[in-house]
Amino acid sequence: MSENIINLKIDGKDISVKKGTTILDAARANGIEIPTLCHSEYVKAYGACGLCLVEGENMPKLMRACSTVAGDGMVINTMSPRVVRARKIALELIMSDHDGDCKAPCTKACPANTDCQGYVGLIANGEYKKAVEVIKEALPLPASIGRICPHPCEKECRRHIIEEPISIAQLKFFAADKDLAGDTYIPEIAEDTGKRVAIIGGGPGGLSAAYFLRRKGHSVKVYDKMPQMGGMLRYGIPQYRLPKNILDKEVALIENMGVELINNVRIGESISFEQIRKENDAVIVAVGAWKSMKMRVKGEEQEGVFGGIDFLRNVILGEKPEIGDMVAVCGGGNTAMDACRTAVRLGAKKVYVIYRRTRNEMPAEDIEIKEAEEEGVIYKFLTNPVEFTGENGRVNGVKLQIMELGEPDASGRRSPVPVEGKFESIELDSVIMAIGQGSDLTGIDGLDLTKKGTISADENSFVTSQEGVFAIGDVINRGAGIAISAIGHAKKAAIAVDAYLNGVDICYKEPYYSERVVTRESFPNVSEVSRVKMSQLSPEERKHNFDEVVRGYTEEEAQREAHRCLGCGCHDYYDCKLIKLANNYDIDPARFAGEKKTGYVNKNDFIERDVNKCILCGLCVRACSEVMNITAIGLVGRGFKTVVSPAFALPLDKTNCNACGLCVQLCPTGALQERSLLAKQVPVKEKPEKITCTECDKNCTVAVSYVGGKVARVIPADKQSLNCVLGRQELIERISKKLSDAK
Amino acid sequence: MIDMKIAVGQGSCGIAAGAGKVYAALAEQGLGSVLTKTGCIGMCFLEPIVDIYGDDGQLKRLVKVGEADAEKIAKYVKEGDEEAVKSLEISPEDSEFLTKQTRIALRNCGIINPENIDEYIARGGYSAIDKALDMTPEQVIDIIKTSGLAGRGGAGFPTWFKWNAARQSVSDTKYIICNADEGDPGAFMDRAVIESDPHNLIEGMLIGAYAIGAKEAVVYVRAEYPLAIERLTNAIAQAKEKGYLGQNILGKGFSCEMRIKAGAGAFVCGEETALIESLEGQRGMPRLKPPFPAQSGYWNEPSNINNVETFANVAWIITNGGEAFAAMGNDNGKGTKVFALTGKVKRGGLVEIPMGKTLRDVIFDIGGGMRSDKAFKAVQLGGPSGGCIPAALIDTVIDYKSLSATGAIMGSGGMVVMDESTCMVGMARFFLDFTTKESCGKCVHCRIGTKRMMEILDRICRGEGKQGDIELLEELCVSIKDGALCGLGQTAPNPVLTTIKYFRNEYEAHIDDKKCPAGECVDLISYSIDPEKCRGCTLCAKKCPVSAIEGTVKQPHKIDTEKCIKCGNCKAVCKFSAVVCE
Amino acid sequence: MSCCCENKSDLTLLADVLNEYRSVKGSLITILQHAQEIYGYLPADVIVHIAEQTDIPVAKVMGVATFYTQFRFKPVGKYLIMLCQGTACHVNGSERIAAAIKEELGIEDGQTTDDGLFSIKNVACLGCCSLSPVMMINGDTYGNLTPDKAKQILRELKNKE
Repeated sequence: MSENIINLKIDGKDISVKKGTTILDAARANGIEIPTLCHSEYVKAYGACGLCLVEGENMPKLMRACSTVAGDGMVINTMSPRVVRARKIALELIMSDHDGDCKAPCTKACPANTDCQGYVGLIANGEYKKAVEVIKEALPLPASIGRICPHPCEKECRRHIIEEPISIAQLKFFAADKDLAGDTYIPEIAEDTGKRVAIIGGGPGGLSAAYFLRRKGHSVKVYDKMPQMGGMLRYGIPQYRLPKNILDKEVALIENMGVELINNVRIGESISFEQIRKENDAVIVAVGAWKSMKMRVKGEEQEGVFGGIDFLRNVILGEKPEIGDMVAVCGGGNTAMDACRTAVRLGAKKVYVIYRRTRNEMPAEDIEIKEAEEEGVIYKFLTNPVEFTGENGRVNGVKLQIMELGEPDASGRRSPVPVEGKFESIELDSVIMAIGQGSDLTGIDGLDLTKKGTISADENSFVTSQEGVFAIGDVINRGAGIAISAIGHAKKAAIAVDAYLNGVDICYKEPYYSERVVTRESFPNVSEVSRVKMSQLSPEERKHNFDEVVRGYTEEEAQREAHRCLGCGCHDYYDCKLIKLANNYDIDPARFAGEKKTGYVNKNDFIERDVNKCILCGLCVRACSEVMNITAIGLVGRGFKTVVSPAFALPLDKTNCNACGLCVQLCPTGALQERSLLAKQVPVKEKPEKITCTECDKNCTVAVSYVGGKVARVIPADKQSLNCVLGRQELIERISKKLSDAK
Repeated sequence: MIDMKIAVGQGSCGIAAGAGKVYAALAEQGLGSVLTKTGCIGMCFLEPIVDIYGDDGQLKRLVKVGEADAEKIAKYVKEGDEEAVKSLEISPEDSEFLTKQTRIALRNCGIINPENIDEYIARGGYSAIDKALDMTPEQVIDIIKTSGLAGRGGAGFPTWFKWNAARQSVSDTKYIICNADEGDPGAFMDRAVIESDPHNLIEGMLIGAYAIGAKEAVVYVRAEYPLAIERLTNAIAQAKEKGYLGQNILGKGFSCEMRIKAGAGAFVCGEETALIESLEGQRGMPRLKPPFPAQSGYWNEPSNINNVETFANVAWIITNGGEAFAAMGNDNGKGTKVFALTGKVKRGGLVEIPMGKTLRDVIFDIGGGMRSDKAFKAVQLGGPSGGCIPAALIDTVIDYKSLSATGAIMGSGGMVVMDESTCMVGMARFFLDFTTKESCGKCVHCRIGTKRMMEILDRICRGEGKQGDIELLEELCVSIKDGALCGLGQTAPNPVLTTIKYFRNEYEAHIDDKKCPAGECVDLISYSIDPEKCRGCTLCAKKCPVSAIEGTVKQPHKIDTEKCIKCGNCKAVCKFSAVVCE
Repeated sequence: MSCCCENKSDLTLLADVLNEYRSVKGSLITILQHAQEIYGYLPADVIVHIAEQTDIPVAKVMGVATFYTQFRFKPVGKYLIMLCQGTACHVNGSERIAAAIKEELGIEDGQTTDDGLFSIKNVACLGCCSLSPVMMINGDTYGNLTPDKAKQILRELKNKE
């Protein structure tokens, strides 16, 4: 053996390396990854981030692997508890001073974590197909969901700080409709695994679970008791909100992926739950909540008193419930709105909505309340039925207790209290009770239930009390919710079921995301641009038929609306080394919450620096001086207040920066980024493609990133390719044009 | 008239106490011909000090001398009127402050005129370099090895080992560097040495330069020490003129140049690699070690860095032999150590004692105990890298190992004495505030970790501490010690760790009961007047900056707690201890 | 290289310093110290001039200048009060001195009075621990301060004007 070789042990592995090799390089060469955020082969070792710490046997101090030369006979542990503790704290400390949004608030608000910023940005860029691909990572029914979702995303949209949120949901169905009309996207399906999964219930949750599990290569059957798939989307949502031909198309896509859809099956009748369990490796119960709740009001057993969802289903099934001219709908939720507007469309002359609180407390979507009113619905706020009067077993009126709002209850809402002795009576032909739903678990035995009568399931793994049985959607825990929540369950449950089928115990874990606190002042350069309203039928045009109310966006409208997006989520999320490490080490930076450095954003034509996100790894500063010999930027200040900045905080284009892009390439976070040529810089998970540039005879290698079909960034891929003779702008323009032409 | 010499102590603190004015006043009295300057004798609590040497060599030491006393002194000098200066003479107890010390590093301080090289030479100065140049460098290193001299700046690393490493490094160019960036708040012995005995430093460095083979010596002095820079500049010029510096020193073939580099205000530059960065004109951010400076330091050449006090011992060791030095101290520390004794102690100043003595010897025997009637609570040793040693450990032996065992460190020798009225959480916060401001910002653990510790301590002091904060601090401490890049960061948790270790109940009182037992944290205290004790003298009301005290003459006064800003003026001025702070 | 400022300093004052140190490597801090002595602070145009003359990138010059607390980027008052933040001063009540100065002058660390007379800068230990609490004004050290004594000193300086 040569004298220049030394032997050491890293994580129990015997390793021989050349004398002078650092521990980090020795480990890497042998497939052992030691984390670091401040080290790069471009520049000298620096030792700032403190993540490459390792422990040596019989060595009192931890060592920085990036700079400590491996010694003969060393015994190194790269993951000792002491090392992990020091790294974890380092990451928590970094995060406590890292001011940025990993993900946009809309995405985080979506129960299915749909990448709203992603697809809105893609729509702005005209990349509709890619937008649908992005959406379909989170939900398989965008055209349907886009129409009916109460869009919690929009409530969190930061644009509301400026004026109004982005029409995130409507943009979704704009893109999905375009997709359905043309060359429809079908996701890639993994090779068959031979594992079988049965899903009971073909609603949004069940269908989505089928979709996600099928993508993983499992064989999936969906059983449903109704004649067609879709669950509440089909039988609970009126046609005027969701035309069923749209739903049909989206269901068909799932079937085309190879999911077996079996209708008209009642569990316990044609097939037993036991048998389904036996025939499959895993079962997901997603039967929803299809039972209308009773009001426990005198007279509610009479003829002419309908359950809300029963009524809606019957109408959709083509039946004509006898509701007469005067109808009262009890309840203030979306089902109540669907019921009253359906009643209007069935020809009722007077439709009341009876709600015991005021409009402010109504859980229904504001737009629904408004449109129902436009269609002539009469609201009876602060009233509560005490008796449904009747004659010959048929309802003929209601006695209402007048209410007023009292003290706020535990939920913070002011609770209604009766005004003693004040009543009102209304004449009626029928009553529709839309005050809540429960589940019917007939035929599904042996699962532990909650006090509410729903299935008790863990909301990270969705396991039930029975081995191999999972449950999602309205049928579990809190009961009925919104469709996108059931889809969110499906997405997360698919991860758990897939893991279960592979014999591992993994459940969905909410990742850690860095988050910014913003105010109007955070957006100094954003001016007010009102929302692009989607055109729709007038009340007169729509109230006598079941035609879809909204007409959809034109392409121009959709792009205009999508351009309003503020792009809150970090554009470098998928390349960010920091967030990956943060989630690997299970960090909790909140315990170190404190002052953050005061940063600013500084741009030139090619590079955007967001000092708020900078973690002071120093790579950019060192690369700019050590590699490029330019030193356009430097460290300014000392200690906690240190920032990376050009002298006098000048904009980059007032410095000698030649936009070589090396700093961007080395930045481990989103603090530095290449400004893309696109209208909206969209964070998408795509590997850059390395190509040889043929613009001159230097044969440089450049890494080209695309967003959809468009070139987003062109970055030199190695040391030799740093100084482009064309100049940065020329290069990007030429390469983009060439590649775009080729596509 | 007797033939005599009058020396006025003119260190920075003497001047601050008015020594310059005293000097001028004495000159005005026509004593210019016998008047001379000297450095700092280290009895800072008695400044300004005027030493009058009779022609018989007898010393009369006058203390706390004011301008107005010049006339009396003149009377004594001119007329021999002993009575005139009787009241100014140092008391026998105060004299013990010096007589109980053993002075090696400080041997000339306050005795010679630092601006006159001849006075240094007269006391045997520059004979050590003469002697050393007749030896081989290895022999010099050997003597240092025998002496057991260890770094006096903080870490206590054996000096011979560093010299030897630099000696062994092969290069035509080597540097010897003096770290005079004395940054520990509460330590000022290095300043005193440079101001009072600059040639001792020069000679020590020359011997070091010869030992390692350096031809260039650099002294990195902090910018806050203008007088030290002035005197050292002067001393270098004189040494050069006399042939102790420059080419072919003493005709023995050894050449060495020396220059001063002024720091610009950064505590971290006391860390040797940061100091090197700063010498090179860069931001003073520590480098990764290895390589160590002995292999690759200043301008990537082998460099040896020692602090002032370390060098101040070298000439003595060469003259007297390594054994003589090693005879002082114990197994865990040889020779003497200088401490800057300050805080609530009666007699504060510079104390040089052999290692092996106890904290009690220094604080009570030499320092005279507490200044007020309050009880001794703790002593802070080692500045921001050190810790607080509680009263219960007052008999701790002073050596590297015994002090480290308490959680504190010897450090550079800052010794700040605290009594009951010092809040230990506040003390920890003070040091973390310091570290946070002085952190260079390079590594995460120090830059953000000390900031977060500071924030937690701050909220505890404000009464907003949360359950679990002590544990959170401890967790941070452990990881910062493990993860920080340089000594500053790695030792930054020490003040917190030691105060939690010895004064956990004080932390708990702040967090659980929202009380500051020392009565120092303003958010946790309130002032009131005990009507039984108040005589209605109205003094407190007059001194209150916000007119929060009301009352009529000879009637008990009352503090309006709404208005009160808790400045403590009332308590400070009350002659009847009627103001209560709780 | 341009800079964001409009100050027009007399750059010829710096010529001797630059001639002496321009080609001595590692002299940036020394040059900056001399410049501050000449101009009282480091005006932006002086920084740019030093960068150009020494061939050190201006971002680097700024990096060095902002690292050390000695350097100032704004003019200071006629009297620069340096308030010692050492341990002994802390233990002996430097916070009350800072409060007294604020009461008297209405300024805190880093600020200058409107009349341009006084500036305050908190500084690391001045090494006069036995006289704590201590402040230094334009090179003169004042020790054993009490809030009243500190105010008195400032008033005397004010009255001199």
